[in-house]
Amino acid sequence: MINKNKIKIFLVDDDALYLKLLEIEFLEHADFDIETFSTGELCLENLSHEPDVVILDYVLDGLDKNAMNGIETLDKIKAYNNDIPVIMLSSQDKIDVAVSCMHHKAFDYVVKSETAFIRLRKAINSIYSYKKLEKQLNWYMERM
Amino acid sequence: MSFIRRHESQYARSLIEASLDPLVTINTKGKITDMNEALANITGMTREQLTGTDFFDYFTEPQKAREVYQKVFANGSDSDSPLTLRHKEGKLTDVLFNGSVYKDNQGNVLGVVIVARDVTDQKRIATELNEAKNAAESATKVAESAKKKAEDAAKIAEDATKTAEEATKTAEDATKTAEDATKIAEDATKTAEDATRIAEEAVKSKQQFLSNMSHEIRTPMNAIIGFTKVLLKTDLSAKQKEYLTAIKMSGDALIVLINDILDLAKVDAGKMSFEQTPFKMALSLSAMLHLFETKILEKNLKLVREYDKTIPQVLVGDPVRLHQIILNLVSNAVKFTTNGKITVSVKLKSEDEEKVTIEFSVTDTGIGIPENRLGTIFENFQQATSGTSRLYGGTGLGLAIVKQLVEAQNGTIHVDSKVGEGSTFSFTLDFQKTNAEAASDLVIVDTDVEIKNIKVLVAEDIALNQLLMKTILDDFGFERDIADNGKIAIEKLQTTVYDIVLMDLQMPEMNGFEATSYIRNTLNSNIPIIALTADVTTVDLAKCRAVGMNDYIAKPVDERVLYNKIISLVKKTVPTNDNKDSIKTHGERIKCTDMDYLARRTKSNPTLMMEMISLYLEQTPQLISAMKQGLHDKDWNCLYLAVHKMIPSFAIMGISTDFENIAKKVQEFATTQKQSEEIPELVMQLEHICEQACEELEEEYNAIKNTNL
Repeated sequence: MINKNKIKIFLVDDDALYLKLLEIEFLEHADFDIETFSTGELCLENLSHEPDVVILDYVLDGLDKNAMNGIETLDKIKAYNNDIPVIMLSSQDKIDVAVSCMHHKAFDYVVKSETAFIRLRKAINSIYSYKKLEKQLNWYMERM
Repeated sequence: MSFIRRHESQYARSLIEASLDPLVTINTKGKITDMNEALANITGMTREQLTGTDFFDYFTEPQKAREVYQKVFANGSDSDSPLTLRHKEGKLTDVLFNGSVYKDNQGNVLGVVIVARDVTDQKRIATELNEAKNAAESATKVAESAKKKAEDAAKIAEDATKTAEEATKTAEDATKTAEDATKIAEDATKTAEDATRIAEEAVKSKQQFLSNMSHEIRTPMNAIIGFTKVLLKTDLSAKQKEYLTAIKMSGDALIVLINDILDLAKVDAGKMSFEQTPFKMALSLSAMLHLFETKILEKNLKLVREYDKTIPQVLVGDPVRLHQIILNLVSNAVKFTTNGKITVSVKLKSEDEEKVTIEFSVTDTGIGIPENRLGTIFENFQQATSGTSRLYGGTGLGLAIVKQLVEAQNGTIHVDSKVGEGSTFSFTLDFQKTNAEAASDLVIVDTDVEIKNIKVLVAEDIALNQLLMKTILDDFGFERDIADNGKIAIEKLQTTVYDIVLMDLQMPEMNGFEATSYIRNTLNSNIPIIALTADVTTVDLAKCRAVGMNDYIAKPVDERVLYNKIISLVKKTVPTNDNKDSIKTHGERIKCTDMDYLARRTKSNPTLMMEMISLYLEQTPQLISAMKQGLHDKDWNCLYLAVHKMIPSFAIMGISTDFENIAKKVQEFATTQKQSEEIPELVMQLEHICEQACEELEEEYNAIKNTNL
C-alpha cells in the first residue's frame, strides 16, 4: 500500500546465492519492491501480496526432492491469477525447457548468465508496455 | 767793384760753407774743384786732399756716382739720386745727390755743382719709419694673420665644435647604431634561435603527433583485428565469413601502414636503433619467407630461394630489421607480379677476419618500373606510376623505409628494372662474425603437445585488449587473470602463482619495464615474461631484454605465435623452476577464488559481499554432499541437479571456468546416464575446488569483517 508506485517483484530460487545476487542487482539498478522466496511453496503462500512480476527458477527441487518444481509453481501462480506475468529463469539453455515454460504460459524465459539481469529488466519493461497496450485496448473496446 | 765782387763772393762763400749738406764742384773731367766744410767732414779728408781728386772715388758705388754726374752734364741737372759717401774711416753717409751744370758767360759748361744732401737721419727716420711701417704692417699682418688664425681657429673651433658635435652625434648615432645593430643582431640571433627552436619543436611535435596518433589508432585497430579473428573462428555463413575476412584484411593493411609511418618518423628523428645480436641467417630468412608461401601459392607464382652455403651460420646483426627489409621487398614483388616467379637470393660478397658483406636480392617477373622513375621510387609516398596505387594499392612508403633501414646500417640499395619484364632490388649489408651461439628464437614447438592448466597473468590496461586476451586465452584453455597495470600485476604475483606473464609495455601507474624489473629484482622471480608490444619497430627490444623479459609479441597478436611462445617458455621454465613446483604441490596456496566479480556486482559494499559469501558457505556443503550422494546412489537426477546449482556460483566467486566446464561434463554424463569412469574423478575435482573455495571465502569473509569493523 505504501509503495504503490513501485513495481513489486517476487524472486523465487532455491539457490540462495544466486537469489541474493539478483536481489542486489535489482535493488541497485532500479527502485523495485523485492520479495525473495527459496521455494515455490513459499511463493504461492505469499501471492496475496499481489506481485506485479514473478521471476521463477526452473529447477526448484535440486536439493529437496519433495519440493515443488518450477513448472508446477508456474501453473499454480497462473491458476491463482492468470494476469500475473511470470518470467522463468534457468541455467538450462535447452530449447525444450524453454518451450515447455512458454507452453505453461510463462511470459519469458531467461538463461542464468552474466547478462541475465539485463534480460530480466528488458522482459519487465516489455511486460509493462504490453500491459499498457492492453489497458488502452480495453479502454477503446469499452468505448465501442 | 772788385770789393763788392769780393764781398759778394765772400758772402756766397759763407752761405756755402754754412750748409750742412756737402757741396762740391767738379770739372768736366770729374775732378773736384771746390767743396765746403761739410764734405770734408763727411769724408774725413782735408780740402787740399780732396781738391783735384776724382769725385766718384768717395762713394761706395763709384760707377753709379760717375753715371749720375755724367747724366748731369748731359741733361744739365739731376735730382735726388741716392748715393752713399764713405768716410775715410769707413763711416757711411747716405746722401741724395742733386746736381746742375754751371756755365761761363758765353754759356760754356765749366763744371757741375753738386749738393749731396745728408739723408742719414732722413734715411734713418725713413728706415725707422719704414721699419715702423713694416713693423706696423707686420704687426697688422701678424694681427691679421692672428685674426685670421683666430678666425680660422674659431672656425676650426666651430668646425671642431661642429665636428665634435657631429662626432658626438655620430658617435651617439654610431653607438646607437651599434646598439641597434647589436640589438638587431641579438634579435636576429634570437629570431634565428626561435626559428630553429620552433622548427625543431615543429619537427618534434610532428613526430610526437605521428607517434601518438599512430599509437591511438593502433590500439583500437588491434581490438578490431583481434575480435575479427575471434569471430572468424565461430560458426558463420559463407557471406559472413567473406565480410569478416574483408574487415580483417583491411585492418591488417591499416596496421601495416601505421607501422610504416611510425617507422619513417622514427628514422627521421634518428631514433631508429639497431640491434647487434647473434642469429642464424639461413633459418631466420626461411622462417620469414614461410609467411609468403600461401600468398605466393594463391597467385600461382613460384618462389625460388638461392642461398649461398658459404655464408657463416651465425652472424651478428639485427634480424628484425633484416626481416622488415626483405618482407617489404618480397611483398612488393608478390604484389606487382601476376605470373612467373620471385627469386630471393643471398650471396656472400666478401669476407674478412671480422665481418662478411652479404648481398641480398629480390627478383620478380612483374610489371617493372619505367626508367625515368627509378630515381624516385625510394622517396616517401612514391610509386612508379600514379596509376600503380589505384591498381595495386599501397602507400609507397615501403621502399622509402627499406632504403632508410639499409642506409642506416651503412648498406647500399640498388634497383634494376625493365618495364614488362620485372625488377631486381638488391642491397648489401655487413654482418659481424661471431663464435657465439644464436639465441634460439623461432623454435617451433609441436602444438600437439598439450600442456594443461597453464595459468597466465595478463597485465594490460585497455579493456578491449583485456577482453581480447581473455577470449584468446580461454580458447587455448588456459587460466587467465587480468591486471590493469604493472602495480596490480605485482600484487597479484605476490599472492598467486602463475606460469607466465603477458606484459603490456605502456600502462598507467607502472609500465611493463618497471614491473618486469621489479619482478626480477625485488620479487626475485624468474617467471617467464612476454612483452606485448604495439609494434616491434618502435619498441626498444634491447630494453625489453635488459629488464629481463624472455620474449616479445607484437599486437595484433597472432594466436599461433602466442600459443607457441607461451608453451615453449612454460616448458622451458617448469623443469628448472623447482621452487615453483614445490609451491604448486601445496594446492591450498593457490587461490581459486577471485572477488573481482562480486566486488563489481556489489560495488564493493562489504555488507553485501559478506552476505553473499556467507550464503555460499551455507549452501555449498549441501550441494557437495548432494552431489556425492547422487554419485554414490547412482541417482543421476540428483547428481545433475546438485551440479546444476553449483554452476552459477563458480562465476560469482571467480572460480575458473574450467570447473564450470567440468560441472557441465558431469551434467552431460548424468543426463545421458552413460557409465563412465571419468565421473568420480570429475566429481572429486568439483568437490575439491568447492572445499578450497569455502576455505578461502571464510578467510575472505573474516578479512572483510575485520577491515570494516
